[in-house]
Amino acid sequence: MDHLLLMVWHALLVSVFFAFLWRSTAIGRRNLFLKTFLIMVVGAAALGWLMFPFP
Amino acid sequence: MTAIESKSPKKKPADSVKDQKAEGRSRASVPLLFGSWFLPGFGHWRLGKKRRAGVFAAVIFCAFITGVFLHGEIGTPKPESPFSWLAAFACLGNGILAIGRLVWLNGLGGLLGGFPFALQGGGSPAAAGFAYGNTFLYTAGLMNLLAVLDVSDIARGEKD
Repeated sequence: MDHLLLMVWHALLVSVFFAFLWRSTAIGRRNLFLKTFLIMVVGAAALGWLMFPFP
Repeated sequence: MTAIESKSPKKKPADSVKDQKAEGRSRASVPLLFGSWFLPGFGHWRLGKKRRAGVFAAVIFCAFITGVFLHGEIGTPKPESPFSWLAAFACLGNGILAIGRLVWLNGLGGLLGGFPFALQGGGSPAAAGFAYGNTFLYTAGLMNLLAVLDVSDIARGEKD
């Protein structure tokens, strides 16, 4: 089981849901999807690296 | 009290309801909201938002199935753990998916007879994916509850 893949899958599902929930135009949905998806995936990876030195 | 305030006519409750209806703030119908909770996507489909309905149904179904395959547990209330009610609430947000899973695990008789504290939620705490599975199950349920609120907003004319 790949933890990174699971995180990306979770981020994908949640991003698609909120894009369709909060935006009604195709461009708005695409922009919100990309924004939330990248924030979740890149943010989680960055936080992981920041926590790396801590026990 | 000023003279102006004392002369202004008091509003009756009926007037308030009329004002709300005039502004499009009437209540959404209970069967619509119930159907929207029970069958993810149903409410949006009924309101003509078919694309949104399909996406919501697919996303919630995929998240729920992923949670089950990762050996996640459907949250059930436990008497010694008050927070388990929150997990149960989140999981029950999945509607027919959660109820179907509980029937699968407990049988219909077990579901009715064991409610609320003797229910089995399935899952395997020893499995590597247990915590991940729970997260997917909670997320799916909470997304469906948000979709129900969205249906309410659309039905009341507060959102497109």
